[in-house]
Amino acid sequence: MNRCPRRFRSPLGQAARSLYQLVTGSLSPDSVEDEFELSTVCHRPEGLEQLQEQTKFTRKELQVLYRGFKNECPSGIVNEENFKQIYSQFFPQGDSSTYATFLFNAFDTNHDGSVSFEDFVAGLSVILRGTTDDRLNWAFNLYDLNKDGCITKEEMLDIMKSIYDMMGKYTYPALREEAPREHVESFFQKMDRNKDGVVTIEEFIESCQKDENIMRSMQLFDNVI
Amino acid sequence: MAAGVAAWLPFARAAAIGWMPVANCPMPLAPADKNKRQDELIVLNVSGRRFQTWRTTLERYPDTLLGSTEKEFFFNEDTKEYFFDRDPEVFRCVLNFYRTGKLHYPRYECISAYDDELAFYGILPEIIGDCCYEEYKDRKRENAERLMDDNDSENNQESMPSLSFRQTMWRAFENPHTSTLALVFYYVTGFFIAVSVITNVVETVPCGTVPGSKELPCGERYSVAFFCLDTACVMIFTVEYLLRLFAAPSRYRFIRSVMSIIDVVAIMPYYIGLVMTNNEDVSGAFVTLRVFRVFRIFKFSRHSQGLRILGYTLKSCASELGFLLFSLTMAIIIFATVMFYAEKGSSASKFTSIPASFWYTIVTMTTLGHAFCVCVCGEGEVSGDAACSYASCACKGCLEEKNSVAGRRKSVRSSASVVRRVQISINRRHLEHSLGILPAFLLCCVFAGCLLFCLTFLLCCHRCSRVQ
Repeated sequence: MNRCPRRFRSPLGQAARSLYQLVTGSLSPDSVEDEFELSTVCHRPEGLEQLQEQTKFTRKELQVLYRGFKNECPSGIVNEENFKQIYSQFFPQGDSSTYATFLFNAFDTNHDGSVSFEDFVAGLSVILRGTTDDRLNWAFNLYDLNKDGCITKEEMLDIMKSIYDMMGKYTYPALREEAPREHVESFFQKMDRNKDGVVTIEEFIESCQKDENIMRSMQLFDNVI
Repeated sequence: MAAGVAAWLPFARAAAIGWMPVANCPMPLAPADKNKRQDELIVLNVSGRRFQTWRTTLERYPDTLLGSTEKEFFFNEDTKEYFFDRDPEVFRCVLNFYRTGKLHYPRYECISAYDDELAFYGILPEIIGDCCYEEYKDRKRENAERLMDDNDSENNQESMPSLSFRQTMWRAFENPHTSTLALVFYYVTGFFIAVSVITNVVETVPCGTVPGSKELPCGERYSVAFFCLDTACVMIFTVEYLLRLFAAPSRYRFIRSVMSIIDVVAIMPYYIGLVMTNNEDVSGAFVTLRVFRVFRIFKFSRHSQGLRILGYTLKSCASELGFLLFSLTMAIIIFATVMFYAEKGSSASKFTSIPASFWYTIVTMTTLGHAFCVCVCGEGEVSGDAACSYASCACKGCLEEKNSVAGRRKSVRSSASVVRRVQISINRRHLEHSLGILPAFLLCCVFAGCLLFCLTFLLCCHRCSRVQ
């Protein structure tokens, strides 16, 4: 992972510069320039061959994915705001920002606040080209908000609420206020084997494998790209 | 959905993994991509210049020429490329629209050529980005105005349908070249305006002595003759005003226009004088009222294009002039205060209060010289000199700069088009009614200010002669 060299000024230099600007009366244009300089951090991904090894995409698929990625994020990384904004364009009728935050945390595997192309493509590779178990693992990782290995009822309620928010108010039939809570209850009834109030990864995978609907849904990802 | 985000569709579909385990029923199948083929480069040959882009880039906007199957009509089988016999410069902007999603308007491009190209490629101009939209709208409006002007001038040169008597009269007033009678009227009124102005001036010239009394001005010596001349002029002006009022298409607008206000102000003093000759008390006010007879000189602006252009320029620079006045006032107050407090100590100071020192400050700042009021004590003189000469230099520079930069910038841009309009359509009715109330008011204030200046000049002369 190579970073472009980023210029930064010492605080003293910055104070002197702003004092000079105040005296000469030229405040605004330069400060915009300053902001612009600091924000053009660019990030280049590793070479195509390495990505091909790490993920299960072909060369052409990686090229298409990268072109789309770079078009939206010229700096090479996506931060949370950008991510939310891009995702909200696919769901204009509801509020998808909470779900997008959960997605962002799931994609951002090293938790540094930004998703680079490698993270992006690694996540996509698991979802679109992985085995069913990999996918279920990834889904569990998404649900486990604090990444402690188990899903509590509160976490599940947050996720459920965010999904319902994303659907918006104009669903048919109209959703009731209590729908998320009831949904969480039914989910836990299905998944929680030992009734200890949390769902661990083994319980999750076991329960999903027994459920035909879920298995069939997971197969759909094979044809996405 | 924005074009670029379409590339993120696989990601959006993959994100559906989040709700699959919690869904109560199986997910529906994703819609199959019809004619899913590998992305390929296509070559667009525009008048010899080759552009290349991905097919999917063009397909982002399927309701344009390049995004739909309409481009197949331009496919050249021999060279396997799409050939368009159009301007390659504008095509650059069009292709950038597909690539970035933003349509820009290049400033060097002619507006109608650009519109034609956009119409050819099936792109609506409304999607021009915010960065270029203002420029595009301005150019479009200028172009439309110019076309309208040209159309009007063309129309006016054709034979007009028969007009009513009132309309012919109005046309005769507006454009003296329409008929001989109009030309005669034009010259006669011009002559009488000149006569009136000259008599006003000559009236005050001292004109020989009557034995036994001091020198009289001509006005008092030949009062009957001057009164007759004045009456004749005022009669002509009144008749002219009434005729214009009768012929005006919209009398209300005519009454509100600047020229009619000037006409009324020019003839009012005479009538008021007629009414008030008996009363001795108000004769002083009557004398002042005669000053308004000088407004007759503005009636010349109907006869002179140049004066009208001057009026337009002043109107268009009104904000700059207003700011100049305001900054001058600020400086006057500051320096008058300084002068007053600097001279306060000595008893013989002429600056008895701050308003009394306004006069000195005004005179110095407009570089007329401060010979009339002299500072008494040394400190006052030095500080006054320093402050006032700095102020006068600053003001001079400011005045010149304002007049040159703002005046030139605005007046060149607007006066050029104004001169064109005035020359092309000298008989347009709008010309008389386009000066609104506010600029007229400003003009009145400027001349009231000049009047005030003259009065204070006289007052000061009077005071100085009394001191002597």
